[in-house]
Amino acid sequence: MLPELDEIHVEKVNQRESENKTNKRAVNVDMNPMVDLAFLLLTFFMLATTFSKPHAMELLIPAKPKEEQAEKEMAVKESKTISLVLLMNEVKWYRGITEPKPISIDYSSLESLLFDLNQNTEGMVVLIKPLTSSTYGNLVDVLDALGTSGVQRYAISDLSDFDKAFETNAGTDE
Amino acid sequence: MPKLRSIKKLPKLDMNPMVDMAFLLVTFFMMTTTFKSDMPVEVVIPLSQAELTVPEKNLCTITIDKAGQVYIGLDNKFDRKQMLGYVAQQSGIQVSADEFERFSLLTSFGVPLDQLLDLIAMDKTERKRYPQNGIPTGEDNDELRNWILGSRLANPNLRFAINGDAESPVYKVKRVFDILQDLNITRFNLITDTEKDAS
Repeated sequence: MLPELDEIHVEKVNQRESENKTNKRAVNVDMNPMVDLAFLLLTFFMLATTFSKPHAMELLIPAKPKEEQAEKEMAVKESKTISLVLLMNEVKWYRGITEPKPISIDYSSLESLLFDLNQNTEGMVVLIKPLTSSTYGNLVDVLDALGTSGVQRYAISDLSDFDKAFETNAGTDE
Repeated sequence: MPKLRSIKKLPKLDMNPMVDMAFLLVTFFMMTTTFKSDMPVEVVIPLSQAELTVPEKNLCTITIDKAGQVYIGLDNKFDRKQMLGYVAQQSGIQVSADEFERFSLLTSFGVPLDQLLDLIAMDKTERKRYPQNGIPTGEDNDELRNWILGSRLANPNLRFAINGDAESPVYKVKRVFDILQDLNITRFNLITDTEKDAS
């Protein structure tokens, strides 16, 4: 009887040991699919990422004048006001208001013009007058030129009757 | 014999460090990627030499497309809900909780108020094909004003950026400036692309 039991016991232990061995082997996972996926994601995100963020220019516009201040407009010498009338492909600029002598200039040379004017005129004020035929891109060009040429004071203003004449002229030219 | 065995074992590389690196990079790129928000229109932004970057948070983007139509977008889902809440209250539109939820998923939109509920009801592909007419900005039906007011109330720290197409008519942009000025928002950004300096 006894030796027989012993035999069974030994057999069982052996069986268990062999089971353990197979379990240990199963831990060895095939990592290749996971690695493939990891690299796939990596390439995707690397290609999809854009590091360049859009830039912006800051624009400050004057606050809405309060009721009691509406009458108190700041006086600026005419000789120090430069008006820029924005057309489709060119800018007409003139000094002063009463006897304007408009000069045509294209957008690319605006920056050097403004720089010179700014050097020669102390406390220069630039009035930007976009005609309805001009685009937002034109306006941004001008604002950019103003920024880089160091002009401190500028405003987007309404068109005077004199400025409106450019629009009709431009219309008849075409 | 032992020599031969060692040679046979050599090709088994330890891939763990490589896998670690791969996952590290994956996590990095996943964290840093910001996907382009779903815009209802494509705009070609003008070039400038400006070097400021657009803030990423608390941003209200007012898009003006080539035809001069105006779209508004907020970066935060909860702000969008509050904005709609204000506008609905002002104009007396009944908006259900479900519609609020659906609206909050719209990053940017531009329809007059009477088409708003239709737009909300659409699914994504339908919405892409739907021609959005832009938010009215005229003197007599100035709906943009209410949307801006609503967004401002939803988030007092909101910054405004104008994302205009270079071809868009200037008077439309001027009108948006005027509305912003009227609401005492005197500082805002114009989104531009960096110009490659030729010199």
